[in-house]
Amino acid sequence: MTLFSWLELLASGLITGGIYALVALGLNLQYGLMRILNIAHGEFLMLGAYLTWMAQTSLGVSPLLMVPVSFLVLMALGVVIHKLCFRRLTVTSPNLDIFEARGLMVAFGLMFLVQNFASFMWGGDLRGYDYLTEPVKIGDAQFAGNKLLVFGLALLFSGVLIAVLRFTLLGKGVRALMQSPVGAQLVGIDTQRLHPLMFGIGLGLSGMAGCLLSMAYTITPAMGEPYTVTALIVITLGGFGSMSGALAGGLLLGVIEALGMHFTNPSLKALLSYSVFIAVLLLRPRGLFAK
Amino acid sequence: MKDRQILVRDLLLLLAFAGWGLALPHYGSEFVVSMALTCLMYVALSSSWGLFCGSTRYLSLATSAFFGIGAYTSAIALEHLSWLESIALGAGLAAVVAVVMGAAVLHLRGTYFAVLTFGMTELIRHAVTYFEKSVTGTVGRVLTVVPDRDTIYLTVLALAVLAVAVSIVVRRSRFGLALMGIGADEQRAQTLGVNTRLIKVAGFAMTAAFAGAVGAAMAVRWTYIDPHTVFNPFIGFQTVLIALIGGAATLWGPLIAAIVFSVLAETLRLQAPQIYMMSLGLLLILSVLYLPGGLASLRWSTFGGWWRDSRGWLRGLKDKERNRG
Repeated sequence: MTLFSWLELLASGLITGGIYALVALGLNLQYGLMRILNIAHGEFLMLGAYLTWMAQTSLGVSPLLMVPVSFLVLMALGVVIHKLCFRRLTVTSPNLDIFEARGLMVAFGLMFLVQNFASFMWGGDLRGYDYLTEPVKIGDAQFAGNKLLVFGLALLFSGVLIAVLRFTLLGKGVRALMQSPVGAQLVGIDTQRLHPLMFGIGLGLSGMAGCLLSMAYTITPAMGEPYTVTALIVITLGGFGSMSGALAGGLLLGVIEALGMHFTNPSLKALLSYSVFIAVLLLRPRGLFAK
Repeated sequence: MKDRQILVRDLLLLLAFAGWGLALPHYGSEFVVSMALTCLMYVALSSSWGLFCGSTRYLSLATSAFFGIGAYTSAIALEHLSWLESIALGAGLAAVVAVVMGAAVLHLRGTYFAVLTFGMTELIRHAVTYFEKSVTGTVGRVLTVVPDRDTIYLTVLALAVLAVAVSIVVRRSRFGLALMGIGADEQRAQTLGVNTRLIKVAGFAMTAAFAGAVGAAMAVRWTYIDPHTVFNPFIGFQTVLIALIGGAATLWGPLIAAIVFSVLAETLRLQAPQIYMMSLGLLLILSVLYLPGGLASLRWSTFGGWWRDSRGWLRGLKDKERNRG
């Protein structure tokens, strides 16, 4: 293999990795902050994708415009879901372990609900639309324009989220809550407001990722599940609760998958990601980058 | 009630259940029998799941892995072995896999354990798919040697009754107490001299053996199997769901919920599969939120509690209105 084809392979891995990172960041926000392992995360990604597809095909709205729209719609949905389900769960659960187990079950319920709602509404067919399909030349390599755009935006939004968490007062509050819920409440951080907001932002990120995905790939009601699993793998790679870890983990997994598929064969892709996942969970349960 | 009375009551209930199951094929239509078969399958799966996972509170999502292993074993072995032998082999293989899996992951608790068992199930499914594609050259298998309908029904009935009977016995043994001790506080159980590692692996293997046996028996019912149907994670989810909605730590909860579910499934699934799945999801959420102990914990006072809650909520709304106005 020449240096050039190596670079091309790496780039294609990074492009998928960017999306993985964006999906994983939302999930990580929910798990790291509230201990809600939202197994339905990918389903909301699918909702975002369908929202964009509907707006594009029936109203002719540009998918780019739908990025903030799907973020806001899903964020609102997230706040409502948190109000309806998880707030009661926080009150009634005697300890964090039980809350986690019950939260996981509620998320499973949401998964059934949302996925089947989508296939009830839109049917099980593959959907898609054309957007920026002309290839773009960078040096000698060619990339589909939409994929490059998707990658760029995914990185941008991940960066913005990490920056917000690191530099703003809101971010400080969130990080404080992650470190010590009781301590954060003692210094006057309002859990009752921050939790729904952050759950909403997590879903919003997922919806945004779905919107981006629909620009470059076809969509189905079942598309969410693989992304949930991938997001889980990514946050285990990066360590539960670590944002920059999730970004690095996402990009890394994308590259691992691209390399693995190139050197073995594409039907091994799922096998490969699950093996990485289990190996990391067993050998380094605190994440690859933990000190 | 005294301990002994409870035992007698449980055994009598089980006997009645078994008798009813035995009599059903003689008067029920084809449709009713096939519904009863699904029902019995989930009784066996969720009762045995509750036996380990309910009492220790280890949330295992690996049921479909064991089910699939059992199904594949009987699909391959039935050509050479007798019916009972292949079911025993399916159970045995599933138990062996569970011992290996359990030794690797049972030191992790909570979400880690749930996610890992799910991951391993998917890993096994993809590995079998890959193996079949590249070595055997096909994706599915057609079962040619198939016992008649009554044999399958009786086997699954026997497995369901056995699962409940084992639960009754285990609850009163040292082993069952150790399992419950682990569920209440693992470190304390360890301090009190329970070999938690051994107990956990043994319990996990027992659950797996039941799932494997049920898988082996149900495979012939479908006559065509592929990794996607028998390793379907949904089998595992539905088992967990039934056990949780019924009350995972109780003896009769999973059984009640399994009956409710099969009736719901058979009546709704054919006409409106999506509506069925949506109501399943909704039921799960509602039961976790409002009935965390499961259907078996439902008492008249529960309804009173809901009534008071909703009145309190209404009052809160009115207060808000008043404050605003």
